[in-house]
Amino acid sequence: MHKVLLLIVIPLLSYGFWLSDAFKGIAAGVSIFLFGMLSLEQGFKAFTGGVLERILQKTTDTAWKSFGFGFVSAALMQSSGLVSVITISFLSAGLLDLVAGIGIIFGSNLGTTTGAWLIAGLGLKVNIATYAMPLLVFGVLCVFQSGKQLKGIGYILTGLGFLLLGIHYMKESFEAFENTINLAEYAMPGIKGLLVYTAVGIIATIIMQSSHATMLLTITAVSVHQITYDNALALVIGANIGTTVTAIIASFGANIQGKRLAGSHLFINLFTGIFVLLFIKQFGIAVDVISANLGIAVSDNAMKLATFHSLFNLAGIILFFPFINRQVMLLERIFIEKRPAIFKPKYLDSSAMDFPETVVESVRLESIHLYENAIHIILRTFGLRKPDLQKNDLLKQLIEQHNHPIEYDIDAGYEKRIKGIYSAIIAFISQANFTWEMTQSSKLSWLREANKHTVEAIKDTKHLQKNWTRFRTSNNQATINEYNKIAYQIVLHIKQIENFRREIESNELPLLSLDALKATIRNDDMQMNRAIETLIREQKITPETGSSLINDSSYMRSIKKNLLKAAETLFLHGDTGTPGAEQQLTLNDTEINDVVQTVDTQ
Amino acid sequence: MKIEKLLHKLQAFFNTDRHKKRQHIEELRKILLKLKKKERKITLALHQIDDDDLSKHYQTELEVIRIQRKKGIEVLQQLKERKKT
Repeated sequence: MHKVLLLIVIPLLSYGFWLSDAFKGIAAGVSIFLFGMLSLEQGFKAFTGGVLERILQKTTDTAWKSFGFGFVSAALMQSSGLVSVITISFLSAGLLDLVAGIGIIFGSNLGTTTGAWLIAGLGLKVNIATYAMPLLVFGVLCVFQSGKQLKGIGYILTGLGFLLLGIHYMKESFEAFENTINLAEYAMPGIKGLLVYTAVGIIATIIMQSSHATMLLTITAVSVHQITYDNALALVIGANIGTTVTAIIASFGANIQGKRLAGSHLFINLFTGIFVLLFIKQFGIAVDVISANLGIAVSDNAMKLATFHSLFNLAGIILFFPFINRQVMLLERIFIEKRPAIFKPKYLDSSAMDFPETVVESVRLESIHLYENAIHIILRTFGLRKPDLQKNDLLKQLIEQHNHPIEYDIDAGYEKRIKGIYSAIIAFISQANFTWEMTQSSKLSWLREANKHTVEAIKDTKHLQKNWTRFRTSNNQATINEYNKIAYQIVLHIKQIENFRREIESNELPLLSLDALKATIRNDDMQMNRAIETLIREQKITPETGSSLINDSSYMRSIKKNLLKAAETLFLHGDTGTPGAEQQLTLNDTEINDVVQTVDTQ
Repeated sequence: MKIEKLLHKLQAFFNTDRHKKRQHIEELRKILLKLKKKERKITLALHQIDDDDLSKHYQTELEVIRIQRKKGIEVLQQLKERKKT
């Protein structure tokens, strides 16, 4: 869809450029202005990840404080869209609640009107290009520095410079445009004009993704009498409605809170727009009165438009700000959170609390349930499912051929399959732990540890997933091979633990099989590290990739060890027939190391 | 009759340690036999596979079993010697 639109817009613009130099100047002005906004956004991003969050927490604990924060940040960043996008991201991250989020939106709506004042009051009267030049020079100087914050300041200065330069270009081009075409000929009086120009304002803002750009065009055009004042008012209303699209687009990637906030932004601006359209005459009078009091000339439509812009957003605040809590309730009704089917505990029953052995067995079974879910998550990360473990010869091939473009969402998997059960187990154990004698208490303590190992294995898998996803599409075959090997060895280990479970059931010396699993973990780790060193030495992979591989092979080792420790407690719970004699033959650490050395020399 | 029963009980009491030793030796023999069977099974599997990683795993498993068996035989011999004395 976007590509089709681009294919239409490019020839149209090209035709426009061929027709008119002034049009070319206006378009270039808008582009420079938008580029300035991008640069500004980039600059502010440099300050997220610490400073911004701290400020946010301190300044958004009441609705009024949130309002103030929104006002100041939008006035500084000159983009309500950017503020709402940042707010959505903070809301999604749980740093803000919806009330604070809506407060920020109100504040940013008003804060962004300072831009209109700047354009109308300064941009059109002073040669602002002279201010743009030093900003650009200092900005670019800072951008080339290595420090992150200095770079951020550089982008902010450059952004401001481009904003001013864009305004300058548009102003110049509109003045030239005035002599060739008179847009005022397309003026529409009455309600029809209001509705059509509101729609134009919405569309222009959606296309340019900036109400500022629309405001700039409108104010500049009205200052040179290219459009009528009444139509310009409608364009401002349209720009205010259209600006909510930025937040709506941002909310697609956000959670339900983000969607609610975007909904709120649309709700506030749309209904304020409708309200202002209904009472446009009264608003016109109010603008005249305020302008007269502020000493704005009757003929200075640009400044009057800036006044109208502020009045519009003030009206929105007066109308809806007192009802923030009701809005939240309404939004929660409209945007209902679809909770994923969360796995619930199967075996934990509080009525068993009086029977210590039953409680221990319930917790063990539930922990096995948790372990099974963890295995599901780990296998899915590598594109497999549990039945695939039976496909002995194809296992390696299945991992190598796994080329699904979207990686498995481990966080969602954790929320769905682990968190509920894990919390229930912890709660159950803590309820039971205090009342009983040592035997059961220590068994429960072991089971708690086993669950911790299971969860650790998932966390390690998440760390590993980052590079596994990144490098399996690498151009370097050696890197791909090593990452596939890491995945294969983890899967193989899971398979071996499954065999170990079967050995317990058939009493086929499970305790002794554990030694082989422990030795295999050490052996795999040693082989992997050696292979990586060789690849770096032979320059088949870069040292950077090598260091990633070394880190990830540590994750592999940790996943295996955690799974084995969990399995040992969960499955080997004293059911074996001859543990005494079997125990005598188990290997100690030194013996396991000897095994690894012997196998290595074979 | 009562004395006969009492004597039986006394005999059983004095034989407990010996009985336990015998049971232990039996258990070890069974384990060693199972290990030997497992060793054969893995050796056979090792010859049939064409996968380096899996082959390394089997080799490790075989080496572990070899040392476990060695340990088992040593324990068994010690037990037999103690039984004789």
